[in-house]
Amino acid sequence: MAKNQCKRGVTLYSYQEEYYTGAMTLEDCVAEVASMGAEGVEVIAEEMVPNYPDPPESWVKQWHGLMAKYHTKPACLDTFVDLSQGGHRNMTLPEAVETLATQFKLAKRMGFPAVRPSLGRDQLDPIAIVEKALPEAERTNVKIALELHAPTSLTSKGKGSRMQYIDRYMELLSKTKATHFGFTPDMGIFARRLPRVMLNYYLRHGAHEKTVQYIDTAFQNGANTDEIAAEVAKMNPNGQDQRCAAVASGYGWRGNDPKELQQIMPYIYNIHGKFYEMTEELTEYSIPYEEVVPVLMAGGYDGYINSEYEGQRWTQDATETDSCEEIRRHHVMLKRILGV
Amino acid sequence: MFDKYMVPTRGFQNVRENGDIVGFQMLLRITYYRGIHLSLIGSLDVTVDGEHFKPEQLRFSLGDRTYTMDELGKEENVHWPFGQPAKLIVLKPGGLQPGIHDVQVEQRIVPAYMPQGMGFPGNMRRKITLVA
Repeated sequence: MAKNQCKRGVTLYSYQEEYYTGAMTLEDCVAEVASMGAEGVEVIAEEMVPNYPDPPESWVKQWHGLMAKYHTKPACLDTFVDLSQGGHRNMTLPEAVETLATQFKLAKRMGFPAVRPSLGRDQLDPIAIVEKALPEAERTNVKIALELHAPTSLTSKGKGSRMQYIDRYMELLSKTKATHFGFTPDMGIFARRLPRVMLNYYLRHGAHEKTVQYIDTAFQNGANTDEIAAEVAKMNPNGQDQRCAAVASGYGWRGNDPKELQQIMPYIYNIHGKFYEMTEELTEYSIPYEEVVPVLMAGGYDGYINSEYEGQRWTQDATETDSCEEIRRHHVMLKRILGV
Repeated sequence: MFDKYMVPTRGFQNVRENGDIVGFQMLLRITYYRGIHLSLIGSLDVTVDGEHFKPEQLRFSLGDRTYTMDELGKEENVHWPFGQPAKLIVLKPGGLQPGIHDVQVEQRIVPAYMPQGMGFPGNMRRKITLVA
């Protein structure tokens, strides 16, 4: 068996609550990553970069100082192209490309080899945006690592009005042989069941047990999430039932097979190790890491798996969040599977 | 998300203009995981002691600039930093009396990647005491 080349990292988005309340500084977050022997640091630019998109040079110097002090490396910069401007006005294609260029510049200053831009929801054709942005990506040597985020179907089999597919990206890659365009698969796309922390949130806020059970089971059966919402509409739903059904459409597709990553392996520039709840047995409640990570290992992936904790939004109303503890459990699991 | 952190109490006070109390204000933090350009604010809703305020009665203030709700939608280049309190001003002649008030605020952030009509809602309802 080939030696594992996957590297461990964390997206600091995972510490969002502690950062927001001031319980942790940027340095604390980087120190926490390093304390687990992990190397990769991913950052959401608009979360942690002051005076976005143009931080003072003194701050950028501090950032590089932190990387050096803790022996960590910038893995990927997460950015957003807000194509719909809050519903007020759609950006034009040149504006979108210009926004990306600004983000490449910031990534370069901070030492990130890649950006993960979020390109809205088809307000503009993402293919058109990427094609026009490629020359600048190549010129600045910043890779565009587009996120494959739930709900995504890696084949044509998954259905639903929110479902995203990769075939057009593969066509673009085949046509352009682009060296600076690839993917950040988010492991949430392999969720086999809905996060119970999410379901419990809606139950706690008044959703009906029978309705939530239905949503939970239907998702596990690979149902089209439009159909789930339609069924829930017939169950005399309250607002929480409806919201739970709507939110459920943002997960999976339950039918994705981890082996399907092989077809895109050369184009994987980054991985979001998404998780919602680490169990006491040090596994993820929804996502079969033991199946997905070996595919990356066998495929020779030598980039970062950046842990991305996203359970806090479902639990913070009821319990104290401890993102650091969740991430630590995630890294024990990763180390176990990677055999390091 | 971050609902419980939305309104720090230290900004809760009446607002005076030329000696008259024209309304009250509170500090407001974003209920979303990143800072945003102001155009991404979908809606802000305020109800105090059962009185629901119309958008025309609200003002959003960041740094040294103050905006109406309509104006927010056009501000594509003003960035509201993550976690940084902005000021939400509610125009109400006479403001609020000192004492305990039932304050409800809903905030909706509309990033481009969410389906139409979904957005990120933040909902807080709590008692805040106005001192003097």
